[in-house]
Amino acid sequence: MLEKTGVPTKEQIDSAFPSEERMKKGPFVVVECFQKIPCNPCFTACNRDGIKAFEDINDLPDVDHDNCNGCTLCVSKCPGLAIFVVDMTYSEDKALLKIPYEFLPLPQEGDRVMGLSHGGEEVEKVEVIKVQNPKGFDKTPVISLAVSKDKVKVIRSIKVPKERDRSEDEIVCRCSDVTLEEVRELIRTGHTTFDEIKKISRIGMGPCQGRTCSQLVIREIASITGQDPSSLLPGTYRQIVKSLEMGKVIEALEKEEQENK
Amino acid sequence: MVKTAEVVIIGGGISGCAIAYNLAKKGVKDVVVIEKGYLASGATGSCGAGIRQQWGTEMNCKIAKMSCEFFETANEELQYDGDIEFKQGGYLLLASTDKEHEQFKKNVELQNSLGIHSRMLNLDEAKKIVPHLNTEGLVSTAFYEKDGHLNPFHATEAYGKAAERLGAKIYKYTEVTGIEVENGRVKKVKTDKGDIETKVVVNAAGGHSQVIAEMAGVDIPVYSERHQILVTEPLEPLLEPMLMSFSLNIYCQQVPHGGFIMGRGDDTEPRDLRVTSSWQFLDEMIKTATRVLPPLKKARLLRQWAGLYNMTPDRQPIYGKVDEVEGFYLAVGFSGHGFMFGPATGLLMAEYILGEEPTINIDMLGLKRFESGDLILEPSVV
Ligand SMILES: Cc1cc2nc3c(=O)[nH]c(=O)nc-3n(C[C@H](O)[C@H](O)[C@H](O)COP(=O)(O)OP(=O)(O)OC[C@H]3O[C@@H](n4cnc5c(N)ncnc54)[C@H](O)[C@@H]3O)c2cc1C
Ligand code: SF4
Ligand code: SF4
Repeated sequence: MLEKTGVPTKEQIDSAFPSEERMKKGPFVVVECFQKIPCNPCFTACNRDGIKAFEDINDLPDVDHDNCNGCTLCVSKCPGLAIFVVDMTYSEDKALLKIPYEFLPLPQEGDRVMGLSHGGEEVEKVEVIKVQNPKGFDKTPVISLAVSKDKVKVIRSIKVPKERDRSEDEIVCRCSDVTLEEVRELIRTGHTTFDEIKKISRIGMGPCQGRTCSQLVIREIASITGQDPSSLLPGTYRQIVKSLEMGKVIEALEKEEQENK
Repeated sequence: MVKTAEVVIIGGGISGCAIAYNLAKKGVKDVVVIEKGYLASGATGSCGAGIRQQWGTEMNCKIAKMSCEFFETANEELQYDGDIEFKQGGYLLLASTDKEHEQFKKNVELQNSLGIHSRMLNLDEAKKIVPHLNTEGLVSTAFYEKDGHLNPFHATEAYGKAAERLGAKIYKYTEVTGIEVENGRVKKVKTDKGDIETKVVVNAAGGHSQVIAEMAGVDIPVYSERHQILVTEPLEPLLEPMLMSFSLNIYCQQVPHGGFIMGRGDDTEPRDLRVTSSWQFLDEMIKTATRVLPPLKKARLLRQWAGLYNMTPDRQPIYGKVDEVEGFYLAVGFSGHGFMFGPATGLLMAEYILGEEPTINIDMLGLKRFESGDLILEPSVV
C-alpha cells in the first residue's frame, strides 16, 4: 500500500502515536517513517534523546515519547516530511497539529484552509494558528493548525486557496532543481506518468531517488488529468538504494577474495 | 484512435520517431506511431547514447557520420524547445593489444578516406586529453573529437514532437497485439485500443522486434540480449571524451550534468527480454572502471538499470522490406548501436519506403543477406 500510494495503513499510523497517558501530558512527536532508507536527520536534530541513535543508518527511527517534549526541532529536518507534532491539550475540543509544508503560497495566521488526508482527500476546514519559516528551517516551513481532536491521525496537509497560487517557482525536486511550473507544463504537454516526467526532467534521478518528489508529482498528474491518484503508476524503483562509493565495492571484493584463498 | 493510416510504425524509440518525422516531412499524411509505453521507454531510454563515427566498415562510417552531422543541428532542424544535450567531447578508443592497435590503424585510414578525421594518439597524447587515464597495459589509442554523446530522451522527444507538428499521430500506452496479413499483404494492425487498417507497417520495436515480426508470420534472425548500465552521482568535470575499449569491455562517459554513465557487454546475459539488474554486473563494471580511471573509486554509485540489445548474426541492423509480406518493413537488429544510427534510420527508411533515390544505398543491410551469406563484418563493437 505504502509503496504504491504513499499512504500508510491505519496500523502504521497508530504505531506512531504514544499511549493515552502520554498524550494527556502535552505535545509529542509523530514520526510516520515506515520505509527503511539510509536517513537519520531526525536523530541528529533532536537534543533530548526523543529519537534514539541509529545502529544502522537504514533503521527506522526509534522514538522515545518519554524524552520527547514536542519541541518541533525535528519536523523541518526530515527530508521525507514524515514528522509531525501533536498537542492534545491545546483546547477543549481542538488539538494543535504542526505539519511541515513546502508549497507556495504559504497560508497566513488566522486563515481557514482545507485540511487534507494522507492521500490528499479533503477532511475539514482548519484554522492556521502559526506559520514558522525561519532560516534554520531551510525552506521547510512548519504550520500549526487547530484541528478536531478525532482528526489528528487523519489530517496531514492543507490546501491553500488557488488565488494565492502565484509562485510556481517552488522547487519540487531538490536534487535536480525542477520547479512545480516545469512539472505542470510537462503534464500539460502529455507526460502523464511519473517515469515519463522523471526521464525528461531528471526529477527523482538524484540521490533521493524520487522519495521526496514522486508523490508530489503524482498528485499534480492526478489533479491536472482528473485521475484518481491511487490509480496512477508509481515510478520504477531501482537499485542501488543507498549510494555507495565504488572504492568500497572494490575493497569488499578484495576482502572476499582473500577469504576465499 | 484513427481507423486507417497510410503508415503504421510500431515502436516509439529513436528509430520509430525518426522514421515518422522523415515520412511526415516528405508529405505522407497519415503516419501513426504505436508505442506500448512512453517515448524512449525501450532501449533508447536505457542506452548510453554515445555517438561515434570511428567504425571499421564503410557502411557504418557513412551512416554514423550522417547521423552525427544531423545531431549537431538537431535542436534547430527539429525546432525543439528543449536541448538534446549533444556534447562533442570526442571518443577515445583504447587499444590494449597489438592486434587491436593494428586494427585501429586500419580503421583510422578507412575513416579518413570517408571524411572522418580521426587519428591515432600515443599514450602521452591520450593523457593530455584524459589526465586521469591509467595507461598501464594500454598500447595506443584512437581519437576523434567530433564524436560524443547526448540525452536520448530529449532526442526522441524532439523527433516525436516535430513529427506531430507535421501531422503524425503518436499513440502512447498502446500495445500492438497482432498484425493481419491477407493474400501476402499487410492489412491491419491490431492494438489493445482498437485496430488500424493500413498497407504499410514498419517494425521498429527494438528488443521486441522478433515478437512483432512473428505477428506478421515472419521469422527474423534476431534475438535480444540484456545489457546493463549504471550512473554515479555528479562529480566535478574529470572526463571530456567518451572512453571505450573493446578488449577491456567498457564504455564510460561523464554527462553534462556531472554523473558518470558506464556499461559493458557480457554474452552470458539472459536473452529472455528481461531488463532486471544484477550484482555481478556492478562488480565487473567497477573493477574495470576504477582500473581505467582510478579517481572513480571516489565516485558514488547512484543507480543501475538495463536494456535490450536486439542482435543480428553480423551485429548490423536489418533495414528494408520482407519479401513474403508486402508492405512489412524492418528497422531492427541494431545490435547495440541503433541510437547513433537513429537520424540515418529515419531518413533512409523513409526514402526506401517511398521508393526515392537513397542518400546511402542500404540494400546490403537487407534481410536477404542472411540467406545469401553476405554478412558485414564489423570489427569494432562492444
Ligand atoms: C545499456 C545499453 C547501452 C547502449 N548504448 C548505446 C550507445 O552508446 N550508442 C548507441 O548508438 N546505441 C546504444 N545502445 C543501443 C540503442 O539503445 C538501440 O540500438 C536503439 O535505442 C534502438 O532504438 P529503437 O527505436 O530501434 O528501439 P527501442 O528504443 O527499443 O524502441 C522500440 C519501442 O517499441 C516498443 N514496443 C515493443 N513492442 C511493442 C508492441 N507490441 N506494441 C507497441 N510498442 C511496442 C517498445 O516499448 C519500445 O519503446 C545501447 C543499448 C543498451 C541497452
Ligand atoms: S519534537 Fe523535539 S524532542 Fe521530540 S523528537 Fe522532535 S526534536 Fe526531539
Ligand atoms: S525520513 Fe524523516 S523520520 Fe525517517 S529517518 Fe529520515 S529524518 Fe528520520
